[in-house]
Amino acid sequence: MRADRTQLIRWGVVAALVLFVLFGFPAFLSLYYVDAMTQVAIYSMVALALGILVGRVGLVSLGQVAVLAIGAWVAARLLFATTQPYPLVLLEAGLITMVAGTLIGLPALRLRGLYLALITLMLAGAITVVLATVNFPNGGHGFLGYNGGLIHIPPIRRPSVAAGDPAYFRYSVIVAVLMFLLVLAHIRTRPGRAWAAIRQSEPAALAAGINTWLYKLWAFALASFITGVAGGVLAGAVHYLYSIGFPTQDSITLLAVVLMGGAYSLWGAVVAALLYQFLPALLNNWGVSADWLIILFGLGVVQVLTTAPAGLADQVPRDLARLGRLLMRLRGDTG
Amino acid sequence: MPPWSDFEPFIVSGLALGGVYALSGVGLVVLYRATGVLYLAFGAVGAMGALIAWSLMQAGAPGWLSWLVCVAFAAAVTLGYGVVFGPALAARGPLIKAVATIGLTLILYGAMDLLWTTSGGEARSITLPTDNGGFSIGQIQVNWTQVIALAAGVVITAATGAFLRYTKLGTAMRAMANDREITATLGVPVRRVEAAAWLGCGVLAGVAGLLLADLVALDATTLTFLVISSLAAVLIARLRSIALAFAAAIAVGLLHDLLTPITSLTNYRDMTPFVIAAVGLLVLSRHQVLAQSREES
Amino acid sequence: MSRGIFAPSARTMVVLAAAALAVGTGAAGCSSSSSSSSSSSTSASTPPPSASSASSAPATVSTSSCGTNPGVAATGTPIALGAIATNQPGTSFTDIPNMAAAYFACVNANGGINGHPIKLYIETEQTNPAQIAADAKQLVDTDHVVGIVGNTSIIECSVDSSYWQKLGFYIIDSGIAPECYGTPNSAAVNMGPRYSSDGAVQYALSQHVSKIVFDQSNVPGTGYIAAGPSALAAAAGVPIVQLTENVPISDADSVAIKEVDDAGPNGAVVLNFTPPEALIILQAAQKLGLEDHVKLWGCSTPCNTDFLATSLGPKWNNKLFVNAELLPPDVTNTPTMNLYEAILKQYGSAVSGGIGSFSQMGFTEAEIAVHALESVTGAYTVASVNAAFKAVSNFSTGMLCQLWSYGSSPTHIPNNEDSTVTPDNGKMVTAQGCTLISAVDPQIAAYRSAAGTAALEPAS
Repeated sequence: MRADRTQLIRWGVVAALVLFVLFGFPAFLSLYYVDAMTQVAIYSMVALALGILVGRVGLVSLGQVAVLAIGAWVAARLLFATTQPYPLVLLEAGLITMVAGTLIGLPALRLRGLYLALITLMLAGAITVVLATVNFPNGGHGFLGYNGGLIHIPPIRRPSVAAGDPAYFRYSVIVAVLMFLLVLAHIRTRPGRAWAAIRQSEPAALAAGINTWLYKLWAFALASFITGVAGGVLAGAVHYLYSIGFPTQDSITLLAVVLMGGAYSLWGAVVAALLYQFLPALLNNWGVSADWLIILFGLGVVQVLTTAPAGLADQVPRDLARLGRLLMRLRGDTG
Repeated sequence: MPPWSDFEPFIVSGLALGGVYALSGVGLVVLYRATGVLYLAFGAVGAMGALIAWSLMQAGAPGWLSWLVCVAFAAAVTLGYGVVFGPALAARGPLIKAVATIGLTLILYGAMDLLWTTSGGEARSITLPTDNGGFSIGQIQVNWTQVIALAAGVVITAATGAFLRYTKLGTAMRAMANDREITATLGVPVRRVEAAAWLGCGVLAGVAGLLLADLVALDATTLTFLVISSLAAVLIARLRSIALAFAAAIAVGLLHDLLTPITSLTNYRDMTPFVIAAVGLLVLSRHQVLAQSREES
Repeated sequence: MSRGIFAPSARTMVVLAAAALAVGTGAAGCSSSSSSSSSSSTSASTPPPSASSASSAPATVSTSSCGTNPGVAATGTPIALGAIATNQPGTSFTDIPNMAAAYFACVNANGGINGHPIKLYIETEQTNPAQIAADAKQLVDTDHVVGIVGNTSIIECSVDSSYWQKLGFYIIDSGIAPECYGTPNSAAVNMGPRYSSDGAVQYALSQHVSKIVFDQSNVPGTGYIAAGPSALAAAAGVPIVQLTENVPISDADSVAIKEVDDAGPNGAVVLNFTPPEALIILQAAQKLGLEDHVKLWGCSTPCNTDFLATSLGPKWNNKLFVNAELLPPDVTNTPTMNLYEAILKQYGSAVSGGIGSFSQMGFTEAEIAVHALESVTGAYTVASVNAAFKAVSNFSTGMLCQLWSYGSSPTHIPNNEDSTVTPDNGKMVTAQGCTLISAVDPQIAAYRSAAGTAALEPAS
């Protein structure tokens, strides 16, 4: 009974938080920060996807930004070539990216640990080079949809209900919430348990009769789907996509922030996105170089791996609790 | 397809590029064999050393002193990292240890861009005295720096291979890289051996950094992330065989440049290391699951 | 297992503090004005500004001629202007708005604009469209700028041009992207990659080469840029090979060999890269012994720095011909050029590149803006200021071959006359004086016909 009530309270708090973000943020944040928070919403989905792979299943992928680029590419192509409604385009982008990500991940699943991480880096590098040559669609014709000679590049369209920045911010948050719920559904059911078993010990999971190969593939597919959808939302957010915006080293930074935020917990994905997109926007506004952030991320990675593998999302509540106990003790001493 | 004569000059430049990849590729495998860590900060450490050398030379310091400082810096940072974080991460698998070096890479990369700001119209470059001499092969001039880079790759491959296999210290390093705990119980002075391994690797990174800054570009981004392309050779050698890493690096460099005159493929030639690595790894793993000995986090 | 170098609570504290600050800033975001974020970091290891200041200008040139009321500091309500510049590892254009800020500082110390000081808000970006759009909103919504002067960015014109159009801003910039030249709301003081490459190709064609190889960096806009040289070569009946390279370049050797092979002994290789990339290609060509295997080498205007001339060495004298879209400071001894050098010296501590085309562009943009602002009567609003910018006509900047005009044409290429320079033992010297960019480039032809004779007026 009490467990149910705690659950309800927790859900209530989360719902209140989401409502506050949806309606409170655009109200008192300047457009600059609304734009930054839209990016946070988008990258929270990417961090969520990476978190599934790294935190839940134990597969380190160093190529998530390349997958994001694929999702953005597909969405941009569809948005230019068709007049389909936006949610449909997002779904298609997610599905096509899922297929692409799974096909690419399929042979790689035979590899483990460091090899797997490195091969994802290699594949990401390859995709980046291809992208640099074929470019993102910009309204041109043909399969690639790229016209290099354009003097006025048309913007990628947004959904008609979310044309302005605050409205698009709400749209992105809603899509992100849906993705989080999708992941939650997975975690609470059989895939989640299978992933936990695989992460604990793959041979043991195999011995227990779990089809590890299938569930690893499922994780890849889910992560690619979510990242693909995020790519679609990104396309509408920025209006213009360039291959130089998806360099290979961004995948490395993304892994760093996911580790810092906490690869295992869902909140960790939000923290990671805040580190990755909100802090740079803040520092840029203050005139502080983004290089300090890169250094911070490097320190954060080393710190997480040496002391607190569960990341900030796990650490902060624990530290707060510890602080609380400390305060209690002090009060007890003096009182 | 262009005629054969079109490919000739690219054989020479391809070998030079292969030498570049070999320097970092071999360095990475040597480090892995000696410490159990895939030292992804190899490029960043060398780059920062090269930039320090550049600054010293701009300030008027003699060349040889600047190079010495470069190597000393790389050695100091690498040794520092290895001694401080090596023991802490020793029980973790190779994946975690490699990801930790990503942390070091980011720290150095951020520091480099802060300290050596990108200024509007200026470009930094390092030229070594060996740039000026050389000989011709066909139409192309080869300079001594390129020869040194290639030779350094060969020498490092042979020397460290022999060192790791035949000397006591080398054997101790290999044992430690495999299992630190057990090696310690065997009476091997683990901390000293570890320090020696990291120090040697740091010197390697410094020397490579200087050569690469001359051969490729004195640019923090380029040099730091050059390791990604060199990983191709490392992966094909499955992080084990130094000689295979060397050979693979040469092959990757050659193939990359040989694709240049083929118009339909030239824009994709930067993919060469990645495609070779991916294909090679998948071919090598078709009969078995590839994993390191202890990969649990 | 030993602990890491931080206690976990320390990390938590940092995060909490950052979060608290963030919430505070965000909540106050609407009313607070962000600080002018001009990058003032000059690293100890950056070499001193390029040693090209061998001009015979007396060192005691007064800067007070920049303003209308010498020696009197402006104390009225500030006129807010904004600028967006790329600043990322490998590419930094912050020198340009920083120099504009230096000019404004000079004006502010000498009377301001009818007693009003100018405050320039500079936003930097890392070629991220979301960030660039956000920066524009920051300038307009939070900093309440009334004009945009000094934008220099790889993609900003593409991302923001419809935004500026909607709000009625007529920006003065140093353009790169196609929209900087192809939209009504942007007029640049420079020529940009396409027309600057046109200039370099034009010079090569004038030397009767038999083939042109045009190689450029693979950044957004390659097709647009390539169209200019293609048109020029086609009109001259000379074959042209179009190449692109992914940057940063890690294999300059193969790039150099390829270019030389394609050009042939009587051909020309024309490059369009940023200075570091162009430098390593040219150095690779020299190391391979290939620099004499083509008739001549050309480069668009980014190569026009004494730093490049010094780094390349004497083998490139009269071998490399660089398009110069601004008058060379070394050989131009005019009051305006002297003023530029004096302002740079007195107020330009944040301009790390010293004397060169970047700071010249910043100077010119600020000069034009001040000239326009001085004609504004009444309040300084978005409408009045931008109307003044648009009305600039036949202005002698002292930095360009031509008089500069904004005007109402649908496209703007007000700087379409260049000179060509070549290295001469560590300095860039003139190889060919002011020459109009050929109207064979359809964009140039369209602009000239729309802008009328104003487009052809040479500087007095």
